[in-house]
Amino acid sequence: MCVWCERYAEGYERWYFNPANYARKLYKIRRDEGPEIQPNPVVAGGMALIDRNYVEALDRKDHEAIAKLRHDVEQLAWKVHFGQVVTLEDTLKVIDIIYPIALMTCACRRSMLGLPDEENFTCMGMGPGMYKWERWPETYRGGIQFLTPDEARDAVTKMNKRGLVQTLFTFGTPYIGGICNCDYPDCSAIRTTIDYGIQFLWKGHHIARVDNELCNGCASCIHRCQFKALSFSATQNKAYIDPFQCFGCGLCATECPQDAITMVERTSMPALANVW
Amino acid sequence: MLPTITVDYEKCNDPLSCRKCLLVCPTHVLGLGTRVGPRKFKEIDPDQFIVDGVRFEKCTVCMDCVSICPKSAIQVSF
Repeated sequence: MCVWCERYAEGYERWYFNPANYARKLYKIRRDEGPEIQPNPVVAGGMALIDRNYVEALDRKDHEAIAKLRHDVEQLAWKVHFGQVVTLEDTLKVIDIIYPIALMTCACRRSMLGLPDEENFTCMGMGPGMYKWERWPETYRGGIQFLTPDEARDAVTKMNKRGLVQTLFTFGTPYIGGICNCDYPDCSAIRTTIDYGIQFLWKGHHIARVDNELCNGCASCIHRCQFKALSFSATQNKAYIDPFQCFGCGLCATECPQDAITMVERTSMPALANVW
Repeated sequence: MLPTITVDYEKCNDPLSCRKCLLVCPTHVLGLGTRVGPRKFKEIDPDQFIVDGVRFEKCTVCMDCVSICPKSAIQVSF
């Protein structure tokens, strides 16, 4: 079972369907101002928790150092800020239970490509934090655009169509504050997870399965996978999905014109039930 | 063995509006950040933005960033 559901679902089907997990307190007691954050381009470069030490440890295959750094980074991320992949269907259900909801700029694409704010409204924020975001656009670059639930559903559906994966992110676990719309290689979360083996982005509650009877080998789905789980079998002339690598986003399934790909519950397959 | 990427922040003084290296890098090795941490209620001055190497393991040392930089601010060595 998903550890986040175990801890925070409180009787709901999944932890992200529990409205309490969107109700972070707007006001909190301020901590003492600590020392000013030192300039650190790596921190600012969109991979806040990983620096050259980790890349060097990977490079020299220092498994002990890798394990330690990975452990520290994961513990911190899971406490403060991590994500889980969700299907479009689940994202639309989440939009039903949250308010307010707003479009905002994507911090990853800003740091990866320097994408100008006006081209960068692919992130969605939700909950009372959005009022803060609205009030101080000079701190939170780009400002925000509040959306009605219908507009929000329309926006994520279009981004899904465009090929962006829907993910939910915590801001102080278990509080979920963002629906991100991500793709490789410009999403820091996907890169950290896929390239560095650090579980910053958790797999979702579903797995994509190809029905070889229905798949006609049109390959429409091939460009949809952001997780290196989907390839094309030239021998069989069929889409091939590695279920252990599949993050369960459903992008391949929504694109398939033959409805040959179905999303099944991860827990329905014993060997995958604990692969997150 | 990993490449080393050095950026001269004095020469590269407005990466936010230039961003040629960020767009040319085939594997998105470089990152755009700032020289100051997030500061509440303050806009960050454009000349505080910097570009630097982040995802070194994906750098192929193709030198595209070095040759495209209009300020000759980037050095890559291996």
